[in-house]
Parts: sequence; C-alpha cells; structure tokens
Amino acid sequence: MAQIPNLDNAALNLTALREQSQKELLSIIKSIRGKKCLVIDPKLAGTLSLILQTSALKEYGTELRILSADPLQTECPKVVYLVRSQLNFMKFVANQIKNDESKGLQREYHLYFVPRRIVACEKILEEEKVHQKLTIGEYPLYLVPLDEDVLSLELDYSLQECLIEGDTSSVWHVAKAIHKLEFAFGVIPNIRAKGVASTKAAELLNHMQLEDPVSMDNMGIPEIDTVILLDREVDMVTPMCSQLTYEGLLDEMLEIHNGSVEVDASIMGAQQDGKKVKVPLNSSDKLYKEIRDLNLHVVVQVVRQKATSIQQDYAEVKSTNTQSVSELKDFVKRLHSLPEIARHVNLAQHLQSFAAKPAFHARVEIEQIILEAQTYETCYEYIEEIIQKQEPIETVLRLLVLFSLTNGGLPKKNFDYLRREILHSYGFEHMPLLYNLEKAGLVKRQESRTNWPVISRALQLIVDIKDPEKY
Amino acid sequence: MSSSVSVAAEWDLLSDRFYRRITIYSPLPWSSPATTTASSSGGGSSGVGRLDLSTHIVAAAPFGGPIAAVRDDSKIVQLHSEPSRRRLLLFSSSGHPLASSPWTPHLPRLHSLAFSSSLNLLALLSDGSLLRFRLPDLNPITSSSPVPLLPPASGGVADAVFWGGGVAILTEDNRVVVTTDIEVDDPHPRELADPGVAEDEQVLCMAVVEPQFVMSGSPEVLLAVGDRVVAVDEDGVQVLGEALEIGPVQKMAVSPNGKLLAAFAHDGRLLVIPTDFSRIIFEYECDSALPPDQIAWCGLDSVLLYWSEVLLMVGPNGDPVQYNYDEPVMLIPECDGVRILTNSSMEFLHRVPDSTTLIFGIGSMSPAALLYDARDHYDKQSAKAYDNYQLISSSLPEAIEACIDAAGYEFDVSRQHTLLRAATYGLAFCSRFPHGRFQEMCKILRVLNAVRDPEIGMPLTVKQYKLLTATVLIGRLINANQHLLALRISEYLNLNPEVVIMHWACEKITASAAIPDVVLLEGLLDKLRLCKGISYAAVAAHADNSGRRKLAAMLVDHESQSSKQIPLLLSIDEQDKALQKSIDSGDTDLVYLVLFHIWQKISVEKSAPLDFFGVINARPLARDLFIAYARHSKHEALKDFFLSTGRLQDAGFLLLKESRELERNPMASKGSPLHGPQVRLVEQAHRLFAETKEHLFESKSAEEHAKLLRVQHQLEVSTKQAIFVGSSVSDTIKTCIVMGNERAAVKVKSEFKVPDKRWYWLKSCALATVGNWDALETFSREKRPPGGYKPFVEACIDAGQKTEALKYIPKLTDPGERSEVLVRIRVDTAC
Repeated sequence: MAQIPNLDNAALNLTALREQSQKELLSIIKSIRGKKCLVIDPKLAGTLSLILQTSALKEYGTELRILSADPLQTECPKVVYLVRSQLNFMKFVANQIKNDESKGLQREYHLYFVPRRIVACEKILEEEKVHQKLTIGEYPLYLVPLDEDVLSLELDYSLQECLIEGDTSSVWHVAKAIHKLEFAFGVIPNIRAKGVASTKAAELLNHMQLEDPVSMDNMGIPEIDTVILLDREVDMVTPMCSQLTYEGLLDEMLEIHNGSVEVDASIMGAQQDGKKVKVPLNSSDKLYKEIRDLNLHVVVQVVRQKATSIQQDYAEVKSTNTQSVSELKDFVKRLHSLPEIARHVNLAQHLQSFAAKPAFHARVEIEQIILEAQTYETCYEYIEEIIQKQEPIETVLRLLVLFSLTNGGLPKKNFDYLRREILHSYGFEHMPLLYNLEKAGLVKRQESRTNWPVISRALQLIVDIKDPEKY
Repeated sequence: MSSSVSVAAEWDLLSDRFYRRITIYSPLPWSSPATTTASSSGGGSSGVGRLDLSTHIVAAAPFGGPIAAVRDDSKIVQLHSEPSRRRLLLFSSSGHPLASSPWTPHLPRLHSLAFSSSLNLLALLSDGSLLRFRLPDLNPITSSSPVPLLPPASGGVADAVFWGGGVAILTEDNRVVVTTDIEVDDPHPRELADPGVAEDEQVLCMAVVEPQFVMSGSPEVLLAVGDRVVAVDEDGVQVLGEALEIGPVQKMAVSPNGKLLAAFAHDGRLLVIPTDFSRIIFEYECDSALPPDQIAWCGLDSVLLYWSEVLLMVGPNGDPVQYNYDEPVMLIPECDGVRILTNSSMEFLHRVPDSTTLIFGIGSMSPAALLYDARDHYDKQSAKAYDNYQLISSSLPEAIEACIDAAGYEFDVSRQHTLLRAATYGLAFCSRFPHGRFQEMCKILRVLNAVRDPEIGMPLTVKQYKLLTATVLIGRLINANQHLLALRISEYLNLNPEVVIMHWACEKITASAAIPDVVLLEGLLDKLRLCKGISYAAVAAHADNSGRRKLAAMLVDHESQSSKQIPLLLSIDEQDKALQKSIDSGDTDLVYLVLFHIWQKISVEKSAPLDFFGVINARPLARDLFIAYARHSKHEALKDFFLSTGRLQDAGFLLLKESRELERNPMASKGSPLHGPQVRLVEQAHRLFAETKEHLFESKSAEEHAKLLRVQHQLEVSTKQAIFVGSSVSDTIKTCIVMGNERAAVKVKSEFKVPDKRWYWLKSCALATVGNWDALETFSREKRPPGGYKPFVEACIDAGQKTEALKYIPKLTDPGERSEVLVRIRVDTAC
C-alpha cells in the first residue's frame, strides 16, 4: 500500500512536478558525501512521504531524525537539517548544535530551508551564535501533489498568521507557488480572486510575472486556463459544521494526514492489538474515488451492495459448473477488488460507531438549528449548557463561532457571559484564545443585524439534512 | 579580364600558393607628428605621438587589438621633442593614440609587455613581478604594486613567453615558472619540473605549447638547451627528438594549432617538425646562420623569419619569398596570417584564399572568374555578359559562392562591392542559391568595415571575426569606449543591447563628475529605457560607488525587481523608502531584511529604539512582522514596543504568557509560597487591561485569575495537596466536592459568583464521580433546580448508573427530553 499517490490520471503532468521535487531533494542529499543524519521538522516529514519513499534516502547513507527540542542522537559526523523556514525551529536547531558542542562533538552542519531562506530565521541563528557553523541552502518545495486533482501548499497556519498576527508571508508564498507552476505549465491567462488576501496574491502574482517573465517560446497553449483564488474567510461557516461525507468523517474522527489515516490494526480486522496501521486514502483507490464524497449512510449501502453482489457471484460459481472461462475471468477480476471493499467496510463500520451515537445526532441537529438562525434562545442555552457541562472545548468553540457567524455576533451581555463561563470552565489560560477569536471576527459582539438568513436563502447554502442522497 | 590582372600582380608565389600583403593602415598617425597632436586631446598628448619600434618595448594584441609600448631604457635613444620621462602608451591598430600614463619610475627593468585574452595589459618586470593594467584608461588592476610571480632568489627573468591566459618564465637560474590564471587577483604561479640545465649549459630559446593543445590541460614549455630540446611540464622533463640530430636550436615558434614547431638551427637550417619531434616535415637552408630576430607562423603553411631589413617567408617547397623593409618590423601572428607592424604602416600578410585565386588568378577561366567578368560586361552594357552567363549556367551556384566568399576576404571596400555585385548578377539567374548566405556576408562586411575604420582601428578578417564572435567584439568595443558603434552593431545583429547600455551608463557616470544629478539622470534614463528589463540597480550601485548617492537614489527608483532594489536602497541609506518598497513588494522576507538593517543601525548608533518603534508603528505589515519575530526572541523589546505605542492590552497578554511559562516551570511555581511571581504578573496584566477602555472583560478576567490563584493556593495549604493551582474555577469546585469539602466548594462558588445552573452541573457530576448517590439525592431535594433535573440524569447515565438515572427521569419537564434520555439509556445498553 504505497502512500505516494498515483498521478497518472491527473489533468496536468503532476508526476513531472513531483519528480522534480524528488530530484532536487536527492541532489541535496547526494551533494553531502558520506554518512549523514537528516533532521526533518515533524510536519515536513509527513509531506516528504508524499514525494518519495524514505527508504530511497537511506540508500545514500542517510539516517532520519525528526527535529525536536531534544538533543540529537546520532553517530553521524554530518548533520543535515531540512526544515521549513519557521522561527520556532531555529531555536531547536541552535540548541542541538550547542548541545553537541557542550559534549565536545565536532560535526559538519548543513541547513536547508524549505522553501527558501528567510532573513528572520537566519537572524535567530546569528543571535544564537550558530549561524557560522551552518552551511545554508534552500529546498524550493512550494507545492506537493496530494492526489491527482489536489496540490497542497502545506501552509497550516496561514489563516492564523494573516488574520491574527498580520503576517502575510503566506500570501506571497501562494503567489510564488503559482508563478513557479507557470514555468511548468505556461502563463495562466485568467486570474480570479475573492477576498483581501486572494486579491493581494493575484496582485503579487501579476508583479512576479513582470519581474520574472515566463518565456512562452517553447510552450504551446497554457495548460491551465484559469486560477481562482479564494480566501478561507469567504466561508467560515462550513469548517465549523460537522462533516457528514465519508472522507469528511474520516478526517474528523481519525484525522487524515498526508493522504492517509492511522488506525488501530484491530479496526482493520487484523489480529494484533494495539498496533497502528496506515491506510492510504486517494483516488488511486477506485472504490474510494467513488465513495469519498458520499454521505456515510450511502457509503454503507454502496459498499454492502458491492460485497453482496460478489457473494452472489460466488454462490453461483459454486453451485453451477456452466460458466465459460471468460465469465470466470470476470469473476476473478472482481475478486481483486475485495481487499479494497474490506478496507472500506472496516473504516465505514468504525465511523458508524461514532455517527450512530445520540450525541452526534444532537450535535448535527443543533448545528442545523443554528444555521437556520430562527431560534436564538435555544441555541444560546444549548451552548451555555455544553460549556457548563465542560464538553470538549473544540466542540464548544466550533458551535460558538458558528452561532456568532450566523447571528452577526452576540449581544454584549450574552457575549461576556459565555466568555466568562468558558474561562471559568476551562481555565483562564484561554483568554488569549478568546481574544484572538474576537480579533479574527469569529466570535464577536453584535453590532448590526445579521444578513446570514438572507444570504443563505438567496444562495441556497443550506441543504436539507434529512435527504442524504442529495449531497 | 584586364581588371583582374592588376590584382594578381601583387601576389607572390610560394611553393604552389599565392600570398599577398595588404596594406591596412598607412601612414600611421604616429609617424607624422602633425596629425597626432590634432587627434589626441587633453593631457598627455605631448607624450603620445611618435613610436619607434626599435627603441620601444611593444606588445600587440591579436584579433586586431591595440598596441602598447614603453620606451626601452636599455637602449640609447635620441630624444627629439619628447619628454624624458617614460610613459606607457596605448594605440589602436590604426596607430591612433588611445591612452597614456606615466611609467612608474624606480621599478625594476621592464622585461616584456603582453595582452591577456580579455585585453588587460600585462607588464613583466625583470625581477619576475607582474603589473596589470585595465584598458582603455591603463588604470592598474587591483593594486599599483607589482604581483611577484617568481620565488625569491631565483635571479629574475631570463626569458618569458606569454599566451592569452598565462605566461611561462625562465629564470636566470634556469627554472621554469608558469601561471595559467594571469587575469585573477592571485595568479597562482607554480614551478614546473627542473629542466636539468647543467652549469656550463645555456638555454638558447624557449617556446610554449598552450594548455588548450596539451592533453593534460596544462602548458608544455619547450627549451632548447645545448644541442637538445626538452619539454618541461608539471610532472617531468622529456628530451625530444634526439634521433633527428638537429643540433642547437636558436629560435623556435609553435604553430597556431599547437601541432607544429618551426625551429631555426645553429647551422642556418629552418626545420618544421611536429611538437612531438617524431620526424622532420621539411627543412630549408637559409643563407645566414645568424638566428633571426623574429620568427612567426603565417597561418599553417609558411613560416616568417625576420632579420633586420629582411623578411623571409619560407614554405614547404620552392624558393622563399623575400620582402625588404628599411625600418623595424614587428610580426603579429593571427589565426589566418600575420600582421606586420612597422613605424609607418600596418600590413596583413596572408595566403590568398582559394575563392580569390579562382576569380583573380591570371588566366583563370573558372566559373567564378567568368561571373565576375560578366558583371563587368553587364555594367558596360555589353552583350558579352549573357555569353559568359551561358558558359557557366550549370555551375552558377559555385561561382556565386566564390564571389561572396572572396568579397569577405577583401579589405578594400570597392572591391568587396564589385565582388558582391558580381554575386548578385549570378543570383538573378539562380533561384536555388540560398539568399541568406549573401545577406549574411553583407552583414558581416558592414560590421567589419565599421570596426576597420581607422578611427576604431580593429582590422579583423572574416575568419578572425568568426573565431572571436560578435559578442566578444562588442565587449571589446565597449571596453574601448566605442559604445555607440557597439550599440549599433548589437542592434544590427539582433543581440541584446543590455551589456552595451549598462556599460555605457556606468562609464557615463564615471566621466560626468561635473554634470548635476538631474541632468545626468535624464541622459541616463533616455538610454536605459532602450533596453527592457535592464538592471537599474546595477547602474545605481555604480553611481553609489562613484560617490553619487543622490543619483543612485534616483536611479534605483526605476528598478522593477524589489529583491535588487531594496538592498541597494539600504546601502545608500534610504531606509524609509526601502521599508515602503519592501512592504509594497509583499515579500515579507524583504521587509525583515529592512527591519533588521534599521534595528542594527539603531543599536550601533545607540539612538533610542523609540525612533524604530515610530517608523514601524506607522506601517502595519512591518509592525506585525516585528511583533511576530520579537515574540520568538525579544520579549523585552516587544514589551517596550507595546508600552511605548499604547498597545497596553498586547503588553497585558504578553505578561499573561510569561505567567503561564512560570506555571509550567515547577521550580518557579510549586516551590514558592505564594506563587508570588505568577500572581504578580497576572495582576500587572490586569492593571494594563484596566487602563484601556475597550478591554474591560480582559481586565476583569485577569483580576479573577489572580484571585483564583490565591484561593487555590490557600486550598493547597489547607488540604496539603498540590492539586489545585492551574485548574479552572469549575474544576476547583468539583475537586472540593470530590474531596468532600462542601464548604470550600460553596465558598468558591460565591466568591466567583458561579451561576446556579452551572453549580448544579458541577456538583451532580462531582457527586456521581465518587458514587455518592445519597448526597446526590439530597442535593436534588434541596430546591427545584434552576435548569431542571437534566444534570442529575446525565450524571447518572455518564457514570453508568441506570437505576439512579431512572429516579430523576420522571422529573424532566420536557417530554421530548424525557424520551430522548430513555432512548439513550437503551442505545448505550445495546452498545
């Protein structure tokens, strides 16, 4: 079960894109001779697993380590750090080098920034007095293909950075990544943007095209016709609601990371308990491609139907001896899809055990009520109650944000009351969190009447939950 | 065919081939003093003018390059009107003075001059040190003091041979030192293997096989010692050609392709042998056994020997050709011939090309000759033209090709013209001949004629031009400050004019010290606009280096690439502009670059950080990035920033963060009696929040937080259990109830004004956790719960006590709720 997705069916030649990234990484590894320890930041380690098999790195005498605050444990005389250019990682790197020094270890250090060198990071290295000891380079990994139709920038914190910290680095990053894509697939003639950050990204992209034009001489028609940029802020409602599709629930319950979920082996029907297995989830799996966006109930039906039809075939094969060879061949072919079916039966069953609980139904129901935005009191009291009951704070905040969004904020008295209840129930250390939510406009004091009901009706944003077939 | 005869009359036959001497420039300006004073301008003109080859050390660059000269002070010279101080002189190949500079006195004796392949002038002094000068102004490169090439105590230079990229030096104590990177700052000389010259022996002459012709890639030095020739390289010494019994060699020259060697032996024989000395290709016995002053290859087919007044050209067969000169001569080998420089003229001696022979050869009836003739008749409106055409119609393409080719070899413009016209006459009858070939030659000739002009003085042949390439030619032109011509040529040949314009702009800035910035800027922009995508930043950097900071600032404004523009703005102290531009660029890395630059400057200048805060506070992106960075490493500076810019709430949150870090650190919290530092930080934060109007909620919360910490501490003291600090109000209450300390719980409830609703949830949950069902029941009877009996039901269900739950379910008022709970009990059991 390879985690690296098959990209043969992609509309663009994403395989070439991925191979380019592979090549660049391997050339970095090869450029440093001898045995070396490759230290990767935790998130990047996952990302790289979408680009190449880690065993490929080991061929070049590479030991793998994950960057952390702890000292580095390795025998290698050379250390290669491969980290995203984030300030917090620099302290880790500096500490590890200093720790080596205090032990009298002489090592050769290399630091490759992903995707590019950043002055601020190097400044921290200078202040920690380790900058001189490092040979610094870049690994320009901007986009990673997650699936045949998804490229990811892997910018986990961009929303927080833009909305709360005012750090718009990610916007530049987006523009740069698209510009880089243009060198492979031609200049994209149409750019549409919605939202402040997207507009800025489009502007930057435009500027980059002037500064560093993509030569169209040896390219035909641009392969990408239009790029549409959307701010997450355009729709904050959706991510606050519970997921109901198969893929959505998988992510919500089991968390999809880098195109796969990690689950207990027992869930997948294996004998050994306590062991974790990785299940890849991408469109190379034909069945998954078919059911990923369906409602869980429908998924169960589809999977069951597939299983029973094979069962019937099997019964037929067993009972009669009249099939031709080609008919048998067909049957065997269908048998090959059995492991896939089994895999999804197991996963869907596991999800069902959550989704069937009354708590889940209650949650989906209250979300629906909040979205309808008709009965303020019910919603308010529900949220008050789950705070007082000390339900998980993520659940509380998601509903509270949803409530605030659809209601255009909360009246000051309620707003302060609920916030106080949260601090009392979960601790005062959540003060900055509430402040940041307010700063981002996600939970706020009501200033004007909400336009949510008008918008949601005009744009038909709400689908009737009672008809799961529809979506 | 009368016109052709006169052409061929000037040719000389050597073996079976014709050679011709073309006078390119004559007379040279320096031979008639009257013209030189007029053409050279300004200072130094008095020193430039007369050049006598016999009294000067001279170097001339190949590919029609310039000529450099310094008076040879080892010779006795009669000074006419010249100053007695020696000067370094630079002329074009056409004898036009380009520059001159005083020769530094008290230097060791000058041994030789030479040009490197990128046209830097090299001067080797007799002690083995090297001076390098940049053209066209003869400014010394890197430093004005000579770079030593020889190891100390080697006795100085006995002989030296230069080539485009290096020099080989024979020292007085018969060692060989070579450098192959003569243009770089450190030429890195290295000594070759010891040639093994005995005490009583003498090195008669030397020659070098250039590195590009040697397999190993490093030069091979040939030394004639006694009656043998040795090849010296880095690894060892090899005695060559003993079997050939040549005897002592007096003079040697390596052919332009590095494969052959011309050697003049002591008995007056000239021998041509391969450089591996495997055999003698031919030999010629000269009249004189006296070694020639100069020996040079003319192409690959003949060797020139020069004795005073006589120049002898020797070929593989037949009699040599002799030319007489009554003045000194300098032979300048080119790839396709030899230029002959005299005091009064510049000539080019080369083999007559085949196409030219076909057309102009006496009695030639070749198609090319007939075509040439036909054009002549046509111009005279003679019907013979068509007769000629009919004779050659089958071989017309060769005839046309020959005419075009021959035109390329001509220096005389009118003859180029007649040859090309002959070609066009043929083209009219021949559609299958590629017209591009004709156009290409016309283009090349236009370029060549332009640079051959005496004002420019680069007498390139077609072959030299193709070898040199147009790009290098343009490079040479701009280095000679011939920018206009360079621009015209690059436009004409469709080459990117960026190099030319950029160089021009920089030179213009250097030369225009007196022109005001605004005027100069206009002039520069006019030209820079010609070239899209040109780097204004590079020009601006040059302006800044030339001490014109204001001009640099104006120029850098026009740079479109932020990543080039911003560092430059910083280097010319335009911080505000740099900051604004970096923000506009959207590239946060550039913003950081500027921020750190300003920050660094402030810490050097010790001016108050307030200035810095003021600068960044006006610009949100810069401000936010500073904050993001400072959060990681500069807490104190950040706090100062928040306080000085009135962002008290942010300072407050920063204090809260610090207090949490204290809490996480066990040494700081559990050890100290009152959790003093932590509480103090929270209280400080509370006061900061209180000072702003908008953060009442935060202020109250911080106040409550401090209170909670105190209460929890007291609880820890009274219960002697360190389990309270760090938990929430609700958890504190629950803990109290779980511990059976109802009074403490009630006290916390009232102190923090916990609403009844929550109280019921907390208490029932806590009682259920410890399984105190009686207390739970008593609690339910106290009074009617404000939020109904739901807390009791859920507490029981969560604890898995269905029977207990059933006690309270009937009390639920909402029937819907009731049935829901019943369902839940059943489902849970089912699971």
